[in-house]
Amino acid sequence: MVDYQYIYDYYFNTPHLIKWVWWVSTILAISILVLAVYLKFIRLSLRKKSNETIKFKSEYEALLIEYLYSGDETGKLTKPQELIVNRIKDSIKTPFKRKLIVSVLFNLMNEVSGEMSDSIKMFYYKTGLIHFAFQRLRSKKWNIIAKGIGELRRFGIDEASHAIAPFINHPKSEVRSETHLYMVNLFLFEGLSFLDNLKVPLSEWIQIQLLETLQKFDNQEICDIRPWLKSENNSVVIFALKLAQIYNQFEVKETLMELLSHENKEIRIEVIDVLAHLYGIEAKEMLKTNFNTLSLEEQISFFKLLEKLVVPDDEPFVEAYLFHKNFEIQLLALKILKEINLDKYMGFTNTSNDKKSLAMVKAVKVL
Amino acid sequence: MDTSSVKIILQILHYLFFGYTFAAILSYIILSFISSKETIEYIKKRSFVNYKDILSSTMSPSITIIAPAYNESLNIVENVRSLLSNHYVNYNVVIVNDGSKDDSLERLIQAYDLEKVPYIVNEKITTKPLREGIFKSKNPAFEKLMVVDKENGGKADALNMGLNISTSKYVACIDVDCLLLEDALQKMIKPFLEVTDSKVIAAGGVIRIANSCEIRGGKLIDINLPKNLLVQSQILEYLRAFLLGRMAWSRLNGLLVISGAFGIFDKETAIAVGGYDTNTVGEDMEIIVRMRRYMEEKGEKYKVSYIPDPLCWTEAPDTYKVFISQRNRWTRGTIETLRKHRKIGFNPKYGWFGMVSYPYWLIFERLAPIFEAIGLVYFIMLIALQEVRWDFALSFFLLAYLFSVVFSIIALYSEELTFHQYKKKGTGFKLVLLSALEPFLLHPFVLYAAIRGNYDYYFNKKKKWGNMVRKGLGSN
Amino acid sequence: MIKKKIVLAEDNSTLSLLLKFRLEKEGYELFVATDGKEAVDLIENENPDLVLSDIMMPFVSGLEVISHLRNKLNLETPIIVFSSAGQEEMVLKAFNLGANDFMGKPFSPNELVIRIKRLLAK
Repeated sequence: MVDYQYIYDYYFNTPHLIKWVWWVSTILAISILVLAVYLKFIRLSLRKKSNETIKFKSEYEALLIEYLYSGDETGKLTKPQELIVNRIKDSIKTPFKRKLIVSVLFNLMNEVSGEMSDSIKMFYYKTGLIHFAFQRLRSKKWNIIAKGIGELRRFGIDEASHAIAPFINHPKSEVRSETHLYMVNLFLFEGLSFLDNLKVPLSEWIQIQLLETLQKFDNQEICDIRPWLKSENNSVVIFALKLAQIYNQFEVKETLMELLSHENKEIRIEVIDVLAHLYGIEAKEMLKTNFNTLSLEEQISFFKLLEKLVVPDDEPFVEAYLFHKNFEIQLLALKILKEINLDKYMGFTNTSNDKKSLAMVKAVKVL
Repeated sequence: MDTSSVKIILQILHYLFFGYTFAAILSYIILSFISSKETIEYIKKRSFVNYKDILSSTMSPSITIIAPAYNESLNIVENVRSLLSNHYVNYNVVIVNDGSKDDSLERLIQAYDLEKVPYIVNEKITTKPLREGIFKSKNPAFEKLMVVDKENGGKADALNMGLNISTSKYVACIDVDCLLLEDALQKMIKPFLEVTDSKVIAAGGVIRIANSCEIRGGKLIDINLPKNLLVQSQILEYLRAFLLGRMAWSRLNGLLVISGAFGIFDKETAIAVGGYDTNTVGEDMEIIVRMRRYMEEKGEKYKVSYIPDPLCWTEAPDTYKVFISQRNRWTRGTIETLRKHRKIGFNPKYGWFGMVSYPYWLIFERLAPIFEAIGLVYFIMLIALQEVRWDFALSFFLLAYLFSVVFSIIALYSEELTFHQYKKKGTGFKLVLLSALEPFLLHPFVLYAAIRGNYDYYFNKKKKWGNMVRKGLGSN
Repeated sequence: MIKKKIVLAEDNSTLSLLLKFRLEKEGYELFVATDGKEAVDLIENENPDLVLSDIMMPFVSGLEVISHLRNKLNLETPIIVFSSAGQEEMVLKAFNLGANDFMGKPFSPNELVIRIKRLLAK
C-alpha cells in the first residue's frame, strides 16, 4: 500500500509535461508488445501460405498437364477432363487457390501455342474462372478492375470487349492503359482507334507494350497512320513514328518530310531517324540545305542518316565538317569520308595539324 | 553573468532541445505515414504489371551498367558474370578497372576471352587517361561486356569514364560487388518510361544486406539473417531508413540521395552537370543534389524516383572499426555536399527542394549528431553540478528509446507486409529483440562516427583529401 | 532399345513439366535443369543425345550453355533453343555459337517433337 501511495503522490506532484511523457511511454510500451505479437502472427500465416502455395502449385500443375494430355480431337471434354474440371471448380471458390490456378495457366499460355493454348482457354471457360474475371470488372477499386482487364486480355476473351470498352475513359491511367492493351490484343490495328481522339499523353511504357502486342501477330494489314502523324498530341505522333519505322511505311515519307519542321525538337530528331531507315533521299537534300538551322541533336541525327544514304556527290558537304568541334559529328564525318573516298581520307592522316583531330583520324582508320 | 540569466539561458536551451526532439519525432511520424501510402500504391500498381513485356522488347531504351572496380581480383570474374546475366535485353556492361594494382584485368581477359580493341573516347568529362586500354570479348556470348583499364582516379573518376564511353540513354552506376537481381533493370527503368509531364533524372533502389546470404555464382540462393549483431542492426536501420523515410521523400520529390551502390541516371543530364565530382567523398549524394539544382535552375519539371523492391544486395561492414570509418565518410560527404550547395538552402527560387528538402537534411540529418552531442555534454554537466532530476531524465530517455523501438517494429511490420524477405523460422523474434537492442548497439557508434566525421572535416586536412583513392571494398 | 536422352534447361516449372510429360510419352528419357549451370552439369554427367534450352535463364544463360558445349566440351550434340518473341539478336547469336534450331515462344509442342525427331534421325 505504501508503494502505491508513493506513486500516487509522485504522480500528482510532477509537472504536466512529465505526466504526459509517462503516459506516452506507457502507450508506446503496450503498442510495442501488441505489435510484436501481431508480427509473429503475420509471419506465421505468411509462412503457412507459402508452404501451401508450393504444395498446391505442383498439384495444379500436374492436374493441368493431365487435363491437357487426356483430350481428344472432338473438341469436347473427355471423361477424365470433366473430372478434373469439376475438381477445379470447387477449388477456385477460394481466392488464394484461384490466384494460384490462374498463374499456373498464365505460365503456360505464354509459352505454348496451337492446340495446347486452345485447350487451356477451354479449361479457363469450363472451370468458370472467366466469371470471376468479369466480376473483377465490377469492382470499385481501380487496381482490381485493371487486374481483371489484364486477365481477360491474356486469355484472349473476346466476349469481354463490351464490358471493357467503357473503361477507355476511366480516370486512372493504369486502367485506361489496360483497356488500350486489351483492344489492341483483340482488334490489332483497329484497336488503336483510340489514338484518333486521345488528349492525354501516351507514356513510353505503354507505347512499348502496345508495340510488343502488335508484333506478336504476323500477317496483318497496318492501317493508315497518317492521321496520327498529324495529331495534335505529340506522344501520338511519336508512337506513329515508331510504327512507321517498324512497319517500313514508305508511303508516309511525304508526311514525314512535313514533320521535319514540327515545333517539337524530339519529334524532329525522331523523324530524321525514321527517314534514315526508310531511305528518304529527298529528305537528305532538304536537310543538307537547312543544315545550319538545325539544332545540334538534329545535326547529329542527320549525319547518322548520311552515313546510311551517302553518295559520292555528298563529299564536299562532308569535308566541311571533318574537323567540327562536336565529337560525334566529327567522328561520323570522318567515317563517312573513309567510306566514299579512301584516298582523300588517307591524305588527312598525314596533313592534319590539330593533335586531337589527328588522333581521331588515326583511330577511325582502324575502326 | 548572474545566475538568473544563466538559468534563463539554460531554460531556453532546454526548450530548444525538447522542441528539436519533438519536431524530429513528429517528422518521422509524418514521413512514416507518407511512406506507407506510397508503398501501398506501389504494390498495387506492381501487382498487375507484366514486366516480361518490357524485358524482351528491343524497343526498351538502352542502359549501360557502369561498375568501377579497384583491386577486386578475388571476386571480379563472378561479379561480372552476375552482371551479364540480367534479363533486360538492351543493355551493356562497362567495367572500369580503376588502376588496380592486382591481376583483375588478367583474370577478366582470361575468363571472358577479351581482346584489346581500338576505341576513341568522347571526353565529355575530363578523366584520368586510359592505361592498358579498352577490351571486348571475342565470344559473342559476352558481347555485352566492355572492360576499360585506366589510371587510378577514384570511384567518381571511374564513373565519369563510364559516362563518357556509354552510348545509351540511361546509365546504371553500381558497385561491382553488388548483386543485382535479374529483373532489377526493368523494374528500375519503369519510372523513367511512365512519366508524361515531367522528366525522371534519377532513380534509386533499396540496398539489401547480403551478409550471410547464400550467394553462389552471382545468384542469390538463400536469404539468412546474419549472426553478427552489428550487421543485424544495420539491416534494421536500413529497413527503417528505406521503407519509412526514402519512400516518403520520393513521393514528396525531395529525395536528396541515391545510394552509390545502385542507381540509374539519365545520362544526358548527368553529363550536362559535369558528371561526378572527384573532390568529394560523398559523390553519390553530391551528384543528385547538383542534378536537382540544374533542373530547378532550368525550370523544368523533374523527379527523382525510388523503387522499394529489393533489387540489389551488398555486403555491409561487420566490424565496428570498418563501420565507424564508413559512417565517418558518409558524414563528411553530407557536410561537403550541403556546404557546396548551401545557396539552395531556404531559397524560394528552388521551390520545395530549397525550402523543405535541404533544410530538413541540414537540420535533422547533418546537425542532429551535433545537437545530440551538445545535449549529452549538457546532461553530463548537470550530473556534475548535481542538478539532475533523475526521474525527469529517466522518463525522457525512456520515451526516446521507446519511440525508436516502435519505429523499428513498424519498419519490420511494413517489411513483412510488402517484401517479406526474411522468411526463416525464428527470424521474426530475433528481429523484434533486435529492435530493443539496436539503440544501444548501433546508435552510440553512429553518433561517435558522426562527431568524428565533423571533426575530421573541419580539422583533419589529411583525411579530407586522402580519401580520393578508392580502397578495395574490404575497408569501406 | 536404349532410350534417347534429352537434357531440358527451362526455368518455367509448368512448361518443363509439360514438355517432360510429352517427351517421355514419345519415348525419350528427360533430365530437367532449371538454370544454365545445372544444365551444363547434367550434360557433362549424362551425355545426352539432344539439348533443349531456353535462352533467358538465371545465372548461366542458354547462350553460355551452347558455347560451353561446342567450344569447351567440343561436342556435336544437337541443340534446340527457345526464345521469347523479339529476341532476334539472341537467336542469331545462338546460331553463330552453334545451335541447330530455334523455336520462338509461344511454340507448339507438337512442332517441337517433329523437330526433335528430325534432328535425332541424322
